[in-house]
Amino acid sequence: MGTNRRSFIRNAALLSAGNALGLRPFGALNALAQSSTSYKALVCVFLFGGNDANNTVVPYDTTGYANYAKIRAGLALSQSALLPLTPSPSFALHPSLPELQALYNSGNLAIVSNVGTLIQPTTRATYLANKVTTPTNLFSHPDQQQEWQNAALSAATASGWAGRIADALNTQYNPGSVIPMIASVGGDTLFCNGASTSPVSVSPGNLGNASCSEGSECTSQLATAQQLVSLSSGISLVQADNEITSNAYNYAAALTSATQSVTALKTVFPANNALAAQLKQIAQLIQVRSALNVQRQIFFAGVGNFDTHSSQLSLQSGLLAGMSAALNAFYLATQELGVESDVTAFTMSDFSRTFQPNSNAGSDHAWGSHHFVLGGAVNGGAMYGTYPTLSLGGPDDSGSNGRWVPSTAASQYAATLAQWFGVPANQLSAVFPYIGNFSSSNLGFV
Amino acid sequence: MPSKMFWPFTAAVLSLSAFLLLPGCTLSPTNPASSAPPVSVQVSGTGQVRIGATDQLKATVTNATNTAVTWQVNSVSGGNATTGTISASGLYTPPASLPTGNSVTITAVSVASPTASGSLTENILNPLPVVTSASTVGYGTTGTAYLIDVIGAGFVNGATVEVGGVSQSTTFVSATELNATYTSTTGQSGSILVAVDNPAPGASNSASVSTPLQQATATAAARFLDQTSFGPTTASIAQVQQVGLSAYLTQQFNTATTTLPDIPSPYPTQCATASYPCAESEWWQVALTGNDQLRQRVALALSEIWVTSTDTVPGEGMTPYMNLLANDAFGNYRTIMQDVTLSPAMGIYLNMLNSNKPATGQIANENYPRELMQLFTLGIDQLNADGSLETDSSGNPIPAYTEAEVEGFARAYTGWTFANANGSAPTKFPNNTNAWDYPMAAVEANHDTTTKTILSSVVLPAGQKAEEDLKTSLDTIFNHANVGPFVCRQLIQHLVSSNPSAAYVTRVAAVFANNGSGVRGDIKAVLTAILMDSEARSNDTNSTAVDGGHLREPELYITNVLRALNFASTDANPTTDYAYMSLSNYANNLNERPMRSGSVFNFFPPSYVIPATTLNAPEFDLENTASVILRLSLANALVNNQISGFTVDLSATSALGQLAASSPTQLVSTLNTLLMHGQMTAGMSTAIVNQITAITSNPAERVRVAIYLIISSSAYKIIN
Repeated sequence: MGTNRRSFIRNAALLSAGNALGLRPFGALNALAQSSTSYKALVCVFLFGGNDANNTVVPYDTTGYANYAKIRAGLALSQSALLPLTPSPSFALHPSLPELQALYNSGNLAIVSNVGTLIQPTTRATYLANKVTTPTNLFSHPDQQQEWQNAALSAATASGWAGRIADALNTQYNPGSVIPMIASVGGDTLFCNGASTSPVSVSPGNLGNASCSEGSECTSQLATAQQLVSLSSGISLVQADNEITSNAYNYAAALTSATQSVTALKTVFPANNALAAQLKQIAQLIQVRSALNVQRQIFFAGVGNFDTHSSQLSLQSGLLAGMSAALNAFYLATQELGVESDVTAFTMSDFSRTFQPNSNAGSDHAWGSHHFVLGGAVNGGAMYGTYPTLSLGGPDDSGSNGRWVPSTAASQYAATLAQWFGVPANQLSAVFPYIGNFSSSNLGFV
Repeated sequence: MPSKMFWPFTAAVLSLSAFLLLPGCTLSPTNPASSAPPVSVQVSGTGQVRIGATDQLKATVTNATNTAVTWQVNSVSGGNATTGTISASGLYTPPASLPTGNSVTITAVSVASPTASGSLTENILNPLPVVTSASTVGYGTTGTAYLIDVIGAGFVNGATVEVGGVSQSTTFVSATELNATYTSTTGQSGSILVAVDNPAPGASNSASVSTPLQQATATAAARFLDQTSFGPTTASIAQVQQVGLSAYLTQQFNTATTTLPDIPSPYPTQCATASYPCAESEWWQVALTGNDQLRQRVALALSEIWVTSTDTVPGEGMTPYMNLLANDAFGNYRTIMQDVTLSPAMGIYLNMLNSNKPATGQIANENYPRELMQLFTLGIDQLNADGSLETDSSGNPIPAYTEAEVEGFARAYTGWTFANANGSAPTKFPNNTNAWDYPMAAVEANHDTTTKTILSSVVLPAGQKAEEDLKTSLDTIFNHANVGPFVCRQLIQHLVSSNPSAAYVTRVAAVFANNGSGVRGDIKAVLTAILMDSEARSNDTNSTAVDGGHLREPELYITNVLRALNFASTDANPTTDYAYMSLSNYANNLNERPMRSGSVFNFFPPSYVIPATTLNAPEFDLENTASVILRLSLANALVNNQISGFTVDLSATSALGQLAASSPTQLVSTLNTLLMHGQMTAGMSTAIVNQITAITSNPAERVRVAIYLIISSSAYKIIN
């Protein structure tokens, strides 16, 4: 894990202080530690619509696969097409995930199994007997998206866990930064909003100043346009838009300045792939981290259409193929930048889908899901958490259609990432209000 | 409730305190000898005072040489802003608004013997309202509907405006301003007498003032058009001023649908590989040039509630869907529920099309049944009549339906597929004819006929046909109390204001429940209630009377600027050449490509709250530090005539250019009326006039810069 690297940096800093007193020549090493190695970034990839995890990570041993194929019937993937996981021979990946298979087998990708929104440890028995508090509005897209993002009881909590991390760490790590700690390349999401911090939004491939065709008039016109959004109007929505617009002018100028002389990445990202375009933009922002003067960053990317109520086999195949290729290119880009161990990417999604197929060759809204964590710091090639028993009405089913009760909480998953990122133990409960209900706040996958 | 009941008892205990505490007094060396008669205090006064006035109280101290007292209000020395204040001499000033229970206890404490005190209950009454002026804005040709703006003092929340002694529907703006709507008798002209009633406690009437009935101003007309069309134009502002707001509404209700033509097969060359850009071209053309502006605007709002998307639905499926919404826009909400449910576009999008009865080991598709309730009719939780969340005894929201009910509906909606190409009933399932112009039709053999429990404990008995299950299902949903507040609040958000008051939602939802003739779900009545409500009209006379409005979503931003400035297609045959499709690229940059939402949750959800605020503002989901810059670039392209396939004349010889040459002030004033209802702030106007006055000998640039500065501003982007 990162412990060795962090303590190394701390020691280097101490030795450098000694150097100022004329003791040892370690200044150069310290500069290196601060400029590159002390950087960390988290990258959230949100799969909007609820990815069917049952066909993402599939039992591969004879008994397990037979049980899977029998219940999944028309939605079952052919065993021969599955991509086996060398370190986890009982499981295999969807055929559209060859890049993720290779990353798993090389130890840079971990799987966290049956993770979902929870307030406290929950089982089929305690759920059906109403003996536990469960997240509000299970099975509803917007509610479950937001509860994954805010780690709270309901969508009503107006800050996301990334936003609260920024609230806690921004002053310490990014005191002189020219943009916020959080950057979204996938539009506005609750995930990014803190109580005292807000994100910068970046349109992939389009991060500069607004265009102006008035030649020498432009400077003066810009000044007046900026003046107009500083005028008070007496209407709250105008004030709110004034603030967003003023920030936009400032961030666009900062991003333009930081990126104007940057060399293009050599890593080739797949074309016609919305997620790849977003991740490429994130890689470019990481590339200019020194100019942006940031030591900690959280990025949000998202891709949609995982709500496969019908025609699931063909739809999910295309979506997963795009995700796998995009994540692989992103990992290669972090290698090119020499930050593959400083950047950890992970997936989130509304929920998984019913293990039982529906009559439209699709599946419906469910609960616990399997997720991927990618990066050089990841203790990869392993599955964390507990894979559910694939039995309708069985010990992990919240009902009778294979909507798995999560055995690992989304808060535990997120808290593990947050601690790697630098959230200290004594601030963990401020970011994750229900983490104390669970026996472990660190699953050890990074 | 209990605290009110105990209040007099507590006061009585206070007045007796000097006696009750006597046994302990012997312990204190400073107390007088126990044989001395006890000091007592009595407070006298009128016992009531109006807000805005004062009351002089008197304290009588007996059995003490020093008769000085200190004063308390509700046990606080000198009182405070919520209970009122009292001076050292006993002059009581009530608070600015009524305190809890409409009364306070005033206590005088003896300085000589601080354990001795006396109290009096002071009842606080509402102030006397005073009307200093009133003005009217007419909405009808001959003047039958008017907004009355009343200025004065002493108005309280709950005050009503009276015209000729009759109470009118009133909106409280502030202690010095009220708005009301007034319907005159046909042909009534001249002046009316306006007064204000404050409610109890201390109910009272103001004196009346006389004010003439006046017709719509350009500001009122332009604001109304911003709410009811794809953007005001010089001509439409003049038209509304001429006929009045009500008559314009009636004209629009009676204007037939401009139908989007079917997209031919094979596809036109302009959209040979995917037909949706041709559908977009048709929609842009109707939005920009159709006479049925209100109908199409409402259809847009409906399409952002009943969301489908060309992500899944091909262009030739989308145009009949948009026509359906436009045709139903002034009908009944139950009709919309029926027509959308059976539309092939929605059928494809949310999978009710070809949803088969489940075989052994399968469940029925839950996509449409869940979203029909969650997004199109009920919302996920029980609502109060004002659209707010109903809560249980623990303060938690109450789910409007259960997962089991979703599963029941899912089976009820099985068995539907495309009609035959000629509209006749299908005989096979699935029947993949792509008959987009006809409602889906049922194949009974593929309908689940087992018994189902749906919403409100309604049971669909076994053996019913698909049509029977559907009718009972939709009737049950339609009659749920959530539908009115849920739908009306969203329609208000799309047309008028992101944050309507609870009272506004309640008024409109009441019309949804009953249009006055016992009909539930009458959309025409609902639209009239939304648009003619005093909360919608207040800012016609005072741009900040109601802190409302909503962000101009990208599609409306584009249509507003194009219509106001008279952009024209450069194509000789724009309809058949699908020349309007180029506009979609600009909307797409701002994440709102027409009819192509990324999910069923629309481009922006109705519940969106602006980060770091408590402001509910749906369209702001598309407004962030990246999209703002892209919109500024679009503003630059618009004023510089760089919109692909379109042209605009902002040259020195154009009308605006000639105005710019002679008078920057006049130019800004003209643009103010056209783009900002004449409600630009003085500071903004001055800044723009100064900016363009400094541009010499280039009138065209003056026009471009002036327009750019307006349409890049937040004050323009918010429709208020």
